[in-house]
Amino acid sequence: MQKVNKNAVLALLTLSSLVFLLFQLYYYRSYLAQKNGAVFSKVRGSQLGQDSTRWHVVKKFLGLISSHNIPVYLIDPLILGLVDKDIEQIRSSSDGTSPECKYFCAPRDFTTFALLDKAWKHEVGLLRTAEKMGFQWLKILNKDPRLDGMDDLSGTEIPLHYIFKLASHAIHLVVFYERSGNYLWHGPLRLKQHMDRKFVPFRKLHFGRYPGAYEKPELLLVSIDDLKVQIPKNPSSFLEEMSRSRFLECRYREARAFFQLYPDDASADAVEFRKRAKSLLHLAALTLNNLGVKFWLSSGTCLGWYRQCNVIPYSKDVDLGIFIRDYKADIIPAFQKAGLPLKHKFGKVEDSLELSFQGEGDVKLDIFFFYEEDDHIWNGGTQAKSGKKFKYLFPKFTLCWTEFVELKVHVPCETLQYVEANYGPDWKVPVKTWDWKSSPSNVQYNGVWPVEEWDEVIQIY
Amino acid sequence: MDEWKANLVIKPHKKRSWYLAWKYKLMNQRALRKLCQTGAVLFLLVTVIVNIKLILDTRRAAYEEEEESAQDYDDEMLNVEAPRHPVSNKKVLDVEVYSSRSKVYVAVDGTTVLEDEAREQGRGIHVIVLNQATGHVMAKRVFDTYSPHEDEAMVLFLNMVARGRILIFTIKDEGSFHLKDTAKNVLKSLGSQVAPFLSWRDMWTFVGKKGGEVYGEKHAKSPALSTWGDPVLLKTEVHLTSVEDAECHWPDTELNRRRRRFCSKVEGYGSVCSCKDPTPIEFNPDPLKDNKVFDVPVAVIAGNRPNYLYRMLRSLLSAQGVNPQMITVFIDGYYEEPMDVVELFGLSGIQHTPISIKNARVSQHYKASLTATFNLFPDAKFAVVLEEDLDISVDFFSFLSQSIHLLEEDESLYCISAWNDQGYEHTAEDPSLLYRVETMPGLGWVLRKSLYKDELEPKWPTPEKLWDWDMWMRMPEQRKGRECIIPDISRSYHFGIVGLNMNGYFHEAYFKKHKFNTVPNVQLKNVESLRKDAYETEIHRLLGEAEVLDHSKNPCEDSFVPDTEGKVYVMFIKMEQEADFTTWTQLAKCLHIWDLDVRGNHKGLWRLFRKKNHFLVVGVPASPYSSKKPSSVTPIYMEPPAKEEGAVAVPAVAAAEQT
Repeated sequence: MQKVNKNAVLALLTLSSLVFLLFQLYYYRSYLAQKNGAVFSKVRGSQLGQDSTRWHVVKKFLGLISSHNIPVYLIDPLILGLVDKDIEQIRSSSDGTSPECKYFCAPRDFTTFALLDKAWKHEVGLLRTAEKMGFQWLKILNKDPRLDGMDDLSGTEIPLHYIFKLASHAIHLVVFYERSGNYLWHGPLRLKQHMDRKFVPFRKLHFGRYPGAYEKPELLLVSIDDLKVQIPKNPSSFLEEMSRSRFLECRYREARAFFQLYPDDASADAVEFRKRAKSLLHLAALTLNNLGVKFWLSSGTCLGWYRQCNVIPYSKDVDLGIFIRDYKADIIPAFQKAGLPLKHKFGKVEDSLELSFQGEGDVKLDIFFFYEEDDHIWNGGTQAKSGKKFKYLFPKFTLCWTEFVELKVHVPCETLQYVEANYGPDWKVPVKTWDWKSSPSNVQYNGVWPVEEWDEVIQIY
Repeated sequence: MDEWKANLVIKPHKKRSWYLAWKYKLMNQRALRKLCQTGAVLFLLVTVIVNIKLILDTRRAAYEEEEESAQDYDDEMLNVEAPRHPVSNKKVLDVEVYSSRSKVYVAVDGTTVLEDEAREQGRGIHVIVLNQATGHVMAKRVFDTYSPHEDEAMVLFLNMVARGRILIFTIKDEGSFHLKDTAKNVLKSLGSQVAPFLSWRDMWTFVGKKGGEVYGEKHAKSPALSTWGDPVLLKTEVHLTSVEDAECHWPDTELNRRRRRFCSKVEGYGSVCSCKDPTPIEFNPDPLKDNKVFDVPVAVIAGNRPNYLYRMLRSLLSAQGVNPQMITVFIDGYYEEPMDVVELFGLSGIQHTPISIKNARVSQHYKASLTATFNLFPDAKFAVVLEEDLDISVDFFSFLSQSIHLLEEDESLYCISAWNDQGYEHTAEDPSLLYRVETMPGLGWVLRKSLYKDELEPKWPTPEKLWDWDMWMRMPEQRKGRECIIPDISRSYHFGIVGLNMNGYFHEAYFKKHKFNTVPNVQLKNVESLRKDAYETEIHRLLGEAEVLDHSKNPCEDSFVPDTEGKVYVMFIKMEQEADFTTWTQLAKCLHIWDLDVRGNHKGLWRLFRKKNHFLVVGVPASPYSSKKPSSVTPIYMEPPAKEEGAVAVPAVAAAEQT
């Protein structure tokens, strides 16, 4: 009998462990599903319910904001991606009722909308109504970068992001601010200490990891999935813009410290040069943007931005960088048309191209073309009298937006490496005597142009 | 194994013999049994392992999530929350009040809320108002009751304080010389036993609740005229009431929420915090038709004069066509009370860390404010610049709306200003009339963005230069011959008495009698004739029709101008060259208008009103209008009084520093 008991116990144990194991496996699986797929459980039976939840939440939100007369527009990359495929159809049938919920029911955690700060001021009522409608909301405030110039101003913090949560879906409302330079800016999303880190999975937000800069969009009122919303007129170009929208703020605090050490030159000459450099940069930006050529602040102009948030008064020229793959033959005629005659042209498209245009009042515009290699990027220099070639090496970089002298322009995102490569570790110390052939710390001797090519690669006007 | 178990459960009895046989066989097959047992144990093991893995995974994932969100989305700066005052449930406050010749201080619960031991400053009665529920300081004032009229201001202030507030008084140096009976009676009504008998150089401290109990009073009599009373230190306890009792029961609206926040923090703003009938904080003036300045940002430049700011914002928000969303108040320094005032009206305020000192500080504050204004409103082509000590006329925006296109189109214009330096009660008459002048009056003016960004901002005086921004802006290097448009009757009124370059005497003499327009919707006439060339035509027409006054009479006398109305008169004064203002200054002096420097001229011509007649003054021969002088007329020359020359020079310097 004892043996039987022992067996029975063993069997019971095994059975229970089996049940337990199955339960564990099931739980683990559902946990994995949650981790990889949608946050909110994706059990088959409730799939339809989930889809319509998203639609309902969006509908409710649109009702909320329209009751407060707040003009928002859709910037959700997932939905805009879907919309973009059918854009022609959506544009033409403004009122068509669609049989199926194609866009707003697509699986996702958030729906993202944009709001222009200018178009709206009184939030108190909005948040109250939102609460009454059952939304939970989170407001992310931060410092106003428009006050962050050379003067120490502190205003009330401005709202950068709102998140409205209802049931299993959340609306992310990004506030865009208009800034000098005629562009729109949105802030980064940063949680303060006391904030609920689990309010929504913040890491999955499409906006907020970095601040971003955008052109003012043209909007289009469309009806999708029976909801009337504004969307960017050209969703695909918006999505493209979004992918390279990262914005860097100038380092105003460091610039202030720099000016404490090295007081700014406020002489009439300096004021005049800065004024000319600014207008030259504005003209160059206008010309290149019209051609659709991407450029960035390079050399001394970039250093001025990074170190002192201003044009270096003794730099005597404006320096821009352009990737050689973006080179267009129209560049020279376009500048000439804009009133900037070509001063010299060194190198050729295949090697060490460099253009120089004569701006007003002895201010020169230098355009360096950059060549990408596997592990570095370089641009070239040429000494006119000897035909000597030089090579300036930079670590690889990507481009970010910034604001400089009331202009939205590109700078290398990895600015410190860029500046250090060019000016060495002592870039913080102003140097007034600069020799472009020997002073840069990244210069390399690169041989001599063959004499028969000189006519082509050394053109001086 | 399932099989095995199933057999075990389902068929124990029916085929017992077979089962037993099988069982014995099984028992004999020890190896098999061992296998089963091992299998079961393995199973258990796997379960345990899966279990552990699950726990580990869950924990790691949770940790990672936290870590990642911390990396990407945490505020990089350690957001040190402003150390909040511990919410004390204490019902009793310890109050210490000290009064002496050279020092006063007040400490509440060990925190010093007032300390003044500066020399030659802070004489008189210091008053502190505490919230009876929280114990927070709501107002701090000092009334120099050694000097005349300060006791009246104190009475006014004490009457404005709400019932139930805790009042703390202490005297520094001397506070009784001009403390009249009215004021003494008010102090007596607050419960002071000593106040009616306060005399020369007595020291005195008093703590009481308005309209309620007295918490303590101490007094030290001065033994002789030449000496002060002994210092007194009063230590007492104050019982706090509940928050509900300390607040009014206004209906719960957005406006009243702002009001409640304001009224629980500060005191001394009168009926805005009245429980029964609070004065409105939203004004909704009539909108303007075709308002050209609706989208023009308005920068209000403020310091730490919150009562002034309060008065100023009230008049600004009551002006027709105001757009509160475009208003930004720039406060020079981290002062709380001005910010409270800004928030009361639901406007946005910006604080500025002070740079430099005195005039340079004001100048740097202006620069920062103007830069920020154009940053905040990048679309704006203009900005309206106001100061905290101005009343704004009801038709201020209407005036700007009708004239702003001139500033956009006429390159020869420097600004539009709401202030006429020479527009006094007796010299200004026509609200629809505008002038062009070579000076920049300030005090409510419009600045063109391009002027600021391209010319002024890059060379704005640096902090180490102790320059006045407005004097700098008036310098020929900046103004470059451009002119400002001003109205005959000012659209702003300068009420500030306390200021960097201001005092009561100065205000009385030069600002009090300034004319201020109170008529709404004034239709400006001949706005187009203010353009550069059209204005010359206009002046020539005026001079053509003007009657030449009798130059043999004394221009200072009233009889110089006939007793008519609505006529145009002209007089000619001596003005050797463009900068010769000798006669003009004497004329201005006797006409009781601005004489501290030259204002309001246009090519050697001044325009004002006398006895309701338009009165033109032409400087001969410097002015191009001299040709209008009949050859028979000798321009009037007035000599400056020789002995006063020194005296004139001094106020001229003072004047240069003012406004």
